[in-house]
Amino acid sequence: MESTHRWIEHTSELQLELHARSEAGVFTEALHALRELFEDDSPGDGEPARRTVEAEATDRGALLAEWMAELVFLAEKEGLVPDDVRDLVVGEDTVTAKVVGRLGAPRHLVKAVTYHDLELRRDRDGWRGNVVLDV
Amino acid sequence: MSEPRRAAAADPVRIDDTLWEIPAGAREDMRVPARVFADADLLEAIRTDHSLEQLQNVATLPGIVEAAIAMPDIHQGYGFPVGGIAATEPPDGVVSPGGVGYDINCGVRLLAAPFTAADLGERRGALMDEIARRVPTGAGRGGRLKLAAAELDAVLEQGPRWLVERRGIGTPDDVAATESEGRLDGADPARVSPRARERGADQLGTVGSGNHFIEVQRVDAILDAETAEAFGLREDQVTILIHSGSRGLGHQVCTDYVRRMDRALERHGITLPDRQLSCAPVGSDEGRAYLAAMAAAANFAWANRHAIADAVRRSVAGVVGRGAAAATRQVYDVAHNVAKLEEHGGRTVCVHRKGATRAFPGQPVFIPGSMGTASYVLAGRQGSMERSFGTVCHGAGRRMSRTAAKKQVEGAALRRELEAQGIAVRAASSKGLAEEAPLAYKDVDAVVRVVERAGLAGRVARLRPIGVVKG
Repeated sequence: MESTHRWIEHTSELQLELHARSEAGVFTEALHALRELFEDDSPGDGEPARRTVEAEATDRGALLAEWMAELVFLAEKEGLVPDDVRDLVVGEDTVTAKVVGRLGAPRHLVKAVTYHDLELRRDRDGWRGNVVLDV
Repeated sequence: MSEPRRAAAADPVRIDDTLWEIPAGAREDMRVPARVFADADLLEAIRTDHSLEQLQNVATLPGIVEAAIAMPDIHQGYGFPVGGIAATEPPDGVVSPGGVGYDINCGVRLLAAPFTAADLGERRGALMDEIARRVPTGAGRGGRLKLAAAELDAVLEQGPRWLVERRGIGTPDDVAATESEGRLDGADPARVSPRARERGADQLGTVGSGNHFIEVQRVDAILDAETAEAFGLREDQVTILIHSGSRGLGHQVCTDYVRRMDRALERHGITLPDRQLSCAPVGSDEGRAYLAAMAAAANFAWANRHAIADAVRRSVAGVVGRGAAAATRQVYDVAHNVAKLEEHGGRTVCVHRKGATRAFPGQPVFIPGSMGTASYVLAGRQGSMERSFGTVCHGAGRRMSRTAAKKQVEGAALRRELEAQGIAVRAASSKGLAEEAPLAYKDVDAVVRVVERAGLAGRVARLRPIGVVKG
């Protein structure tokens, strides 16, 4: 099963559905979805960059939200458009990874990763995540 | 403690010409009814998304009084619907960061120029260019106003007054013509996290992206001559409407406190139908800390619009002349994402306005339409105090997702269409422009007619865009 994501219709915000074989795969796919959003069909050629990311939360859904919030913060403050992730470790209440990407000008602002309809759970085919972004 | 709820909204019952209600008995967990101001057509549009279900969820909040209320521009949000109002009674009634939203004190400021659209004439394009050059727009872009840590603290505590007194930006009259004079009591910079400060430190004087904008307009019609004169508005006059908020600082304050309150729900014995409604009693440590941080972010937002207005005046000075800039007066500035402790019906309540505007009797209110359509100046009426905790709508209200808008509208074509209508467009992103296409919004005329017929506010003037700088 390939990891996938899709943007679901939402009147005012962006709803993201994620699917992967493993829980860690959902975290990786979330990064790829944000890359797609930040690039907005115009891949940049900024200076390569690598950042260590750590997030913690008290449950699985919140851990996914906090991971994405870290990527949103790096995009806003440093202009980091993430390409990929290395050394991803999804623990019980923490996630750590090295994010590699390019420093540029993300085209799409994400204000926040909300807790609305937040979900990260195992399903029949693997793992499923759902996140609503305030944009 | 949050449990996903996917039940469809109950059918609203018509109360009168402009008010509909879902009784508190419609769901076991509702503490008060859910009320919507709308006409039949708007209600039909409202029922196409999850707005009313979300409004019913708001009606479950501990300590909510009277009703969860929605304006005719209501649309689906996250947790609270956009266009929603909830008043809770302290100390046990809750405050919910999601009931304010991530863009704390997103709001609008209206400037009135001393010249007409005819006077501006051919210089319109140059004015738009100058505003676009002076005011940073788009994702994450920083501004020219750099603040040291202690200076940021002062802005968080004092709002735009600090910019006037310490930086010579704007005037005391601007501050006086701002809701709450641009400063909420109780703001405490110490309650704002280092990350929030980091996100906001260089963003003062920036518009941001999404639906934020600076619009240059022409007063198209005076609808209440006496009030228009009191507001200093006359036909064909040029006005400038600024729509922005607290930028990354406010986004992070909300993020921090949604997380903190989410973790404290069990301790407070609170069960919610939607996790984004996370909340805490107003009198609790979490509640007081959030209100102090939110007030600081609100003050930052007022300072932000104040700094943008200063850049607009400098643009007017460069294109039209210094005298015209000095005579460009601030009509008013109103917040539409905020929570405030107010007196209503003889008691103090915490009024959450999420995509809703304070409209105390006689107070100016600005209702932006969409690009290409009219905006309105309203004046609050007594009915708002009796029916909606002194509140009206905040805009036309989205009816279509950004994705759907982009599928139906091509940004470059929209730009040409707007230009053909006499609207000069300055937008960094054509896709961003398409997301905010007029067809993505409800009919602002219909929305405003409802709040007028409901006695919440009266129409004073209609404004037509002649130029827009899009975030």
